[in-house]
Amino acid sequence: MGGWKSSLRGNQREQIIEYIHASNATLGALIEVDIAQGLALQRRYHQGDKEAKAGVESLVGVPLAIKDNIAVEGFQLSCGSRILEKLRAPYSATAVLRLLQAGALAVAKCNLDEFGMGSDSQHSYYGPVKNPWNEDYVPGGSSGGSAVAVAAGMVPLALGSDTGGSVRQPAAFCGIYGLKPTYGVISRFGLVAYASSLDTIGILAEDIALLRCSFQAMRGPDSFDQTTVKGPTKVAQPHDPATCHIGYLAEPEGLEKPVALEYQRSVEALQGLGYTTRAITLPYLRYISPAYYTIATAEASANLARYDGIRYGYQPADAESAEELTRRARSEGLGDEVQLRILLGNYVLREGFQDRYYLRAQYIRKMLRHKMELLFRGIQALLLPVFPSPPFRRGKEGMSDFQQKQADSYTSLANLTGQPALALPVAMHGDLPLGVQLMGREHSEELLMDIALRYRRHYSPSRPPRYPGVIA
Amino acid sequence: MTTYIGLEVHVQLNTRTKIFCGCPNLFGAPQNRNVCPICLGYPGVLPALNQEALDKSFLTAMALNCTINKRTFFARKNYFYPDLPKNYQISQFGTPIGREGFLELQLAKGPRRINIIEIHLEEDAGKMIHSGDWSLVDYNRSGTPLLEIVTAPDLRSGAEAELLLQQLRQTVRYLGVSDGNMEEGSLRCDANISMGESLPDYKIEIKNINSSRFVRQALEYETRRQMRALEQRTPLRQETRLWNENRDLTEIMRSKEEADDYRYFPEPDLPTFYADDGYLEKIRGAIPELPALRRQRLMEQYELEGPIATQLCATRELAELFEAVVGEGVEATLAARWLFGDVRKELNHRSLSLTDGPLNAQRLAQILLPLQRGELHIKLAKQLLQALFDEGRDPQEIMQDERWRPLSREKLRTIIEGVLQAHPDIVHSIQEGQRKALGFLMGQVMKRCEGRCDPQESQELVREMVGVDESQ
Repeated sequence: MGGWKSSLRGNQREQIIEYIHASNATLGALIEVDIAQGLALQRRYHQGDKEAKAGVESLVGVPLAIKDNIAVEGFQLSCGSRILEKLRAPYSATAVLRLLQAGALAVAKCNLDEFGMGSDSQHSYYGPVKNPWNEDYVPGGSSGGSAVAVAAGMVPLALGSDTGGSVRQPAAFCGIYGLKPTYGVISRFGLVAYASSLDTIGILAEDIALLRCSFQAMRGPDSFDQTTVKGPTKVAQPHDPATCHIGYLAEPEGLEKPVALEYQRSVEALQGLGYTTRAITLPYLRYISPAYYTIATAEASANLARYDGIRYGYQPADAESAEELTRRARSEGLGDEVQLRILLGNYVLREGFQDRYYLRAQYIRKMLRHKMELLFRGIQALLLPVFPSPPFRRGKEGMSDFQQKQADSYTSLANLTGQPALALPVAMHGDLPLGVQLMGREHSEELLMDIALRYRRHYSPSRPPRYPGVIA
Repeated sequence: MTTYIGLEVHVQLNTRTKIFCGCPNLFGAPQNRNVCPICLGYPGVLPALNQEALDKSFLTAMALNCTINKRTFFARKNYFYPDLPKNYQISQFGTPIGREGFLELQLAKGPRRINIIEIHLEEDAGKMIHSGDWSLVDYNRSGTPLLEIVTAPDLRSGAEAELLLQQLRQTVRYLGVSDGNMEEGSLRCDANISMGESLPDYKIEIKNINSSRFVRQALEYETRRQMRALEQRTPLRQETRLWNENRDLTEIMRSKEEADDYRYFPEPDLPTFYADDGYLEKIRGAIPELPALRRQRLMEQYELEGPIATQLCATRELAELFEAVVGEGVEATLAARWLFGDVRKELNHRSLSLTDGPLNAQRLAQILLPLQRGELHIKLAKQLLQALFDEGRDPQEIMQDERWRPLSREKLRTIIEGVLQAHPDIVHSIQEGQRKALGFLMGQVMKRCEGRCDPQESQELVREMVGVDESQ
């Protein structure tokens, strides 16, 4: 991480910029690169090292890429959608602002599945993102651009958003770390809403130390987001593996063979590192995905209603009425997957049908929360698969959109309960990486990061051979 | 046959800033001046509830005798309209601020209780302006806090509805939560009306009623229309009608079948608000004495007649000024007479309200106290009031000026001479012993002096000049 700090001010600057553009031309991870604007923001907001929190490693000069559904003043805010094609953010997200104040250098906006809806980063108006380990494969999604930017060594740190696994799944597919924090710990102000009660800003990094210090810089209450929480003020003590109980699934359902195998091996690896493991059964697994999609699409149907072609974004010419303007802006400006989810959301919220869908989903969510709280009385962390398959192929040979939705159960659980989860790389399967995730009690991010750091004694990820980066 | 009328009254709260952002809450600014990314519904923004709006809502609900919901949250009401930036309105559904309240309608034959079903807080929308081929939107009003007061169908005529609206306006002004100005749209109302032997199962909603006079007119028109329909046995069905103020009639807007499904669901961007007992006690302590009670007290305390007390209580400012003037020692009836007469005349003449001119209780008392003691002529008192408004100075100070000073003895002598010459008969009769007639001469003298003489001094001089002395 040390090498990154003044990389864009030092003599490697041109080399780095050249590398970013060259690799991006193939990978499609970044949809806007503007180092000058990044430097201007840093000059304006950086508060100097003296204000950095004691014991927190500095972020000064660290290049940062931000998923294009998070506002960074002066940068575009397209959400990967035609409907926001020309929009420039008039303000910065609180999370971004806090990183800028800590000295980070925002340099690029990352490609994504349109409005965060997808698991393969192939649903973007700006074209598909490719996996740097094998370009025929998807990088995961929806924060695929963020994951690829980090994995390919373009930047050491990227922000993503995780509504049902959108940070953890691409992190796992690209062989890096991806944290979905406790709901409400990082302000959502400036994160373009997909499903407000599930959305979190997440972090993608190849280095635990950097992940940790960026998390610490961003966390905490924000008056612009009244759903933020304070969290514990006490600094977490270093954990002792001997007394740290980690749960795991004795018989994980629905996993493809290589994933099941590496999952089992990672349980053994944790035992080898001195942890006490305990086999558990996950409650209501088959209800997770239906409940998740009911709530997410219901909220999305309202959240995405504002894109009407009136105040900003794509505006069809010559509409005869406000109604026609809005209808055409949305039909022409929003992609199929987004339109599908909006329709689903409208369907589940219809008057007279809420009992059957929306309210039932909320009830399942409540039960899940309760069960998971009970479960975490006996364990400190829970080891789970991220995705039932390894990275899949791009195009028709890959997974259908419906298969991808069904595969979200293991990740969307943490979004439904609001608990934190951290994806970490644990192995290679051929030329593609595999990951698992650690889920924990509310506000246990530090513990999850400690465990992931310790896991590096067993497995330490590397860069893709074709994308070694400039800074090691 | 009974007429059942219920009102849905919208009251704009006069908070310093809008309900969910920091924009000033002002009427009359140039178009789209008081706007920001939040009230324009830009991608990524979140609402942050204004505490002042919540305080004023609780205050109003308590003053209208509602049961308070200690646990209250917001909901999204989904519909598309160009003046609604998010295409959903943040409102309340299921947990309004208050419910089951009432208001005593002050009818000529005595008060009658009108039940209030609920009071809830929501955000106002912008305004559509149609101009030629264009439709324009002004978002200044977007995000203004709006209190919706829903009454039971307890009103029986348009006149009663008009009175209720006037009383509600008076109440919100007393509470200081709104200026209640219908012309500026701070107070708006929709009406529901149906007719039957008992409450029928249909109701007709009338929208677009922009003044209390129109409320009466629209409801009277609708009463006649529905009566005629019932007489002709034409079935009446649920529908929404618009008041056409140019043609003085209501027109169909949409039938029940076309009614919107608002797909309400809880607003995930705002937390549930809990009002604890301490908070509610504080708010309750801030409820001022309301018009009906104050009127009663004024009648008893100052022995005033009903109509006078009613007039004095028209606004809180007037009632307060009255009581303050009386507190200075001015007789109640004199104070009331002046407030309704000369003071109102001066205010109207100068287009001032009671509080934005130079008038205050001490200043008014400086005029009325000498008047009441007979030290100041009524004519002079009126001139003094004018001077107070012209110059904005204390009457006591104004009276120090040359033109207000008593006339010189020489000048006084000239005036008395004039009076004596004009009434030789009376002078003669006094000299004959008709001492009572002295009073008439004194009156004439005082009149010609316009009060600018000391009565004691003038009387002595008159006696001397007529030729009768004290002892006689």
